[in-house]
Amino acid sequence: MHHSESTAIHPRGTLDFIRRFFANIPLLGWLAGALAAVILEQAVGTSLAHALGLPRIPVLFGFLIFLKQPALIPGALGYVLVSNILPVCIVAKIGAPLFNLLSRSLFRMPIVVTAVVHLAILYAIFHIWTDVSAYRLIMLKLMLISILLTLSLNVINGYMGEFSCSHPGFMALGAYAASLFTVGLFVNDRLFGEALLVSDFAVIFFPLGLIFAGLVSALGALIIAIPSFKTRGDYLAIISLAFTFIVKSFLENLEFLGGPRGLSGQPDWSSLPMVFIIVVLGVWIINNFVTSTMGKALNAVRDDEIAAEAMTVNTRKTKIIAFMFSAFWAGVAGGLFAHVIRFVNPSTFGIQKLAEVLAMVYFGGLNSVYGSIVGAVSISLLGEALRPLEILKWIIIPLLLILVMIFRPRGLISFKEFNIEKLLKPRG
Amino acid sequence: MRTRLMFGLFLCGVLGLLLTLSACGDKDSEEAPRQTMQDVIRIGFPIPLTGDIPDVGESTRNAAEMIRKQVNDAGGLEVGGAIYQLQFIYDDNESKAESAVSATTKLITVDEVLAIIGPQASKQAVPAGGVADNYKTPMISPWSTNPNTTLNRPYVFRGCFLDPFQGPVAANFVTEEFGATKAAVLYDIASDYPKGLAEYFRKAFEDIHGPGSVVAFETFTTRDVDFSAQLTNILRANPDVLFVPQYYNEVPLIVRQANSLGWNKPFMGSDSWGSGDLMGLCGDACQGHFFSTHYAAAGATGATKDFIDGYQAAYGKTPDDVAALTWDSVNIMLQAIRDTGGLSGNLSRDRDAVKNALGAIKDFDGITGKMTFTPDGDPIKCAVVVQIDQEGQFSFFKSVCP
Repeated sequence: MHHSESTAIHPRGTLDFIRRFFANIPLLGWLAGALAAVILEQAVGTSLAHALGLPRIPVLFGFLIFLKQPALIPGALGYVLVSNILPVCIVAKIGAPLFNLLSRSLFRMPIVVTAVVHLAILYAIFHIWTDVSAYRLIMLKLMLISILLTLSLNVINGYMGEFSCSHPGFMALGAYAASLFTVGLFVNDRLFGEALLVSDFAVIFFPLGLIFAGLVSALGALIIAIPSFKTRGDYLAIISLAFTFIVKSFLENLEFLGGPRGLSGQPDWSSLPMVFIIVVLGVWIINNFVTSTMGKALNAVRDDEIAAEAMTVNTRKTKIIAFMFSAFWAGVAGGLFAHVIRFVNPSTFGIQKLAEVLAMVYFGGLNSVYGSIVGAVSISLLGEALRPLEILKWIIIPLLLILVMIFRPRGLISFKEFNIEKLLKPRG
Repeated sequence: MRTRLMFGLFLCGVLGLLLTLSACGDKDSEEAPRQTMQDVIRIGFPIPLTGDIPDVGESTRNAAEMIRKQVNDAGGLEVGGAIYQLQFIYDDNESKAESAVSATTKLITVDEVLAIIGPQASKQAVPAGGVADNYKTPMISPWSTNPNTTLNRPYVFRGCFLDPFQGPVAANFVTEEFGATKAAVLYDIASDYPKGLAEYFRKAFEDIHGPGSVVAFETFTTRDVDFSAQLTNILRANPDVLFVPQYYNEVPLIVRQANSLGWNKPFMGSDSWGSGDLMGLCGDACQGHFFSTHYAAAGATGATKDFIDGYQAAYGKTPDDVAALTWDSVNIMLQAIRDTGGLSGNLSRDRDAVKNALGAIKDFDGITGKMTFTPDGDPIKCAVVVQIDQEGQFSFFKSVCP
């Protein structure tokens, strides 16, 4: 015990030192570092991997190698250090004065321009990183979609403070609506016959399909909101859970949507830029929503509904709008999901999906955009990285969740506002 | 401060545990140290090792490991004069569509397998088939019955017969053996396999006996355990036979409840009866009933007997239909690899060659019958009707060919 305490305190000093050492690097610097790292990996990754005795580039930061081929661990660690960690840190630290300068001049422009520049670099990083391996691409797409899904659920469970279990239902509605739109109109299909339109304009039509998906979900939300918002707490949770089951049974019995067999043959329109743009747009709009007057009203309703009513907040309207808004984005996420997997069936959107997205929300943190991003990224990354452990994975991830709930009952990063200016500002 | 410290310690502990567990894992990498690309053939298995149907994943892995050991112990697989060791990579698809997609993508692009065997259930096989076809990698799903798995996908094949064949087999059998003129069906509407089969059975039966001869067509939903309402309706309609295309965990409940309501006529089942521990759950109640399936374990001879004996010796249980179909699918894949006449080392060219060889195989002699693939990638093969005998064994009763 004594031993572990002393070793645990010592690294804290080092940690503080590291924090101070990197304190003057703006976000732009980190992004530039990451960009340098992925370019480096694309250029010399394969030869570096061979030199370190690895058969190929470790695609997931060496995780798959750590778990499956212990003999290659030193090589994989070396690779991650040389090709991922070192370039990021070196470029970010050495270039810090330059990036601060750039950051300052960017900062003088409207915040939208600054944000777009940062996002463009982020996209470039993703693009080059996924270029190396198709496996990274599919993982990244699913991860981005789960960010959108988690954040939309956080609007209800975090900002509004109700426990809603209807998200798989909304996602299913969105997935089916978007599939119906694209398969019905653009694909020669057994169920819907010849394509009605040519599919050369995916860039235009797919967002339309996603908006349609979101609207269908929002309509579903309205239908459930009217009766269920007469209740609160546990009762709402049960009604919303029932909604998930109703949607699932409904889809199972709809013969023209394939019934339990599901619907396949969606066009491959969920490309990385499409997913990236939609998810960024979603995060931006949701962030604006929760920081707006409406968002504050939502917080007021959560903290004390009667007091909020007395302070002229129209609680019923606020709740219904937030619920529909959240469902809209869940539907969009569902539409994207259906076109990444290119297959939907009702049983995908059951209790398991619910547990997954709830875990992401509560792991990341309630009432926080940061938290949702952290939760979605870490749970999907861990889920994918630990998959080779098979059954042990289902012990480790729940164990982590329990630990988070014990030490941080509201999630890792809860009640923290997503401040874009603070995030992007120069540091020194 | 203190909680943070404790939290950090716990995290370290979990990570440490994880690494220790993983370090004492994998047998494959110890048995077969790293070999160069040339003398190894890799085959990927995106199978459900966790999730709803872990038994299915386990059977798949057991059967595949038997083949791998057999081939590697005999020196390896000879393809066009060169000897290759087999390396099988099992990846968990968690019984989820999205995990099946990422596992298949990983196997094809990261592990660079030559071919894919699996996934087993249709809800993973349909999306995974799309991935395999996209990357032009030959894939055989041993167990998936959904037509969409192979439809318009030249690289995707399957190892089992389809519902449009099995439905009529059952309908003809009950007509001939029991002289049935009125039939009833009880099935799970939320699960695609029972639903498809129930509909094909009804169509086939009504084609023989005229419309309305299926006097009761009752449904329930997955995880229901009380069927008395549906069974009462069925008994009231007084059919000659009850067709139950359900899984091994539901069949015992249905059979017992029907018996207690006074049902004393025969049951007819489908191949889903044969997987898992049907007799352990059902006991004597299921004896005497029939079901159509891929092969009969009791009284088997020749290669089938060797397979069953070997499986029993290695794993201590009778192989189910998943294991048998996996066995055949892996063997037909190896046959196709041999038929290519030699691998070039260029992965995409080899995958193409294997796909073409798979399509060209005629009358492959498997333990689940002779197999020839149609241009769609679906096999033409015979079904077997088995009876559950007094010892609880599934004994051969009749073979039905298309």
